[in-house]
Amino acid sequence: MESLRKDTKGQWIALSGLVLSLIIIGLAALANQAAMAGYHSSNAALEFPKENIRELNLHTRDNAKIIKDLSFEINKTSNESIPDIYTQLFKNYSSQIEKLHAIHGETVDVSLVSINSTNGTYGINDIDIIFVNITYNDGRTHYESKPEVIEVGA
Amino acid sequence: MNDKAQLHTLEGLAAAVLMTMTVLMITNSTMMVTPQNEMAIDVQLKQMASDALTVIDIVPKSSAQSNNAPILHNLTACVASWDVTEEATYPVNTLDNLEDGLSYLLPNVLYNVDLAYVENGNITQKKVIIKGSPGKSAVVARHFVTLTNQTVSDMNGTWNLDDDELRVVEVRLTAWKV
Repeated sequence: MESLRKDTKGQWIALSGLVLSLIIIGLAALANQAAMAGYHSSNAALEFPKENIRELNLHTRDNAKIIKDLSFEINKTSNESIPDIYTQLFKNYSSQIEKLHAIHGETVDVSLVSINSTNGTYGINDIDIIFVNITYNDGRTHYESKPEVIEVGA
Repeated sequence: MNDKAQLHTLEGLAAAVLMTMTVLMITNSTMMVTPQNEMAIDVQLKQMASDALTVIDIVPKSSAQSNNAPILHNLTACVASWDVTEEATYPVNTLDNLEDGLSYLLPNVLYNVDLAYVENGNITQKKVIIKGSPGKSAVVARHFVTLTNQTVSDMNGTWNLDDDELRVVEVRLTAWKV
């Protein structure tokens, strides 16, 4: 043992051993950070209601056109004006979509703002743009589109 | 006998043990399998389920399809064709044309499909496809379709809607892997 204590050679080798160990420990810490980032990004992707918001938006756009066509059908046998029929049908749609979201704990508000016509009359080819307000909230994510501009022209 | 550099030998041994232990610790750590962990698979499955419904939803009307196409009807037409009096009871499903499309788009995935809609102010939920009991890692994708009397009568469904009525139906796909 006496000879070991007196031997002061090879300090560079001792130092490089220490440096190598520290590098490996640092890399291990970094690798664990990456793992945590992977966990959190997966969790965020699952929790963020991207598809729900997209679906609400697209479905509302589709419905604006369906309601327009249905309004003209109803108008053929009704005394009510097309904007009145459109407003009633849209209200009915809003009420249904709001209830269907409510069962999942999501608050949705879809309301008609205005029906726009190029020349002030409401013929089948005149109504071209519908303005709608869309709000979505699931407690974590809040989305608003005010107004959502929907082209419904032929 | 040459007894020099004994400390070097011990250092070498210690460094080797340290490196081996560190590498073992990293490879054995459960956190290291993140790209294959359960949550990453859930994210993929949820996207696949959502995409499957979207693809079925944008299929052109059945008249434009050839009879050899794997998906013959779009989502609205599938739901419109449903007989409202027939709820699925395992293993009998009541919405075959939707099942054809989903089984083509989601191979090796099990799924249940429910329909939810508002009837006389109340929510009604019906099962139309049952493949089993969802596992704990099941994901849910939702899509909405709107039915009118026209779309229902085109597909010979039994929704019994008035001419001035529209019905929003939520198609809820619960998917899981075993």
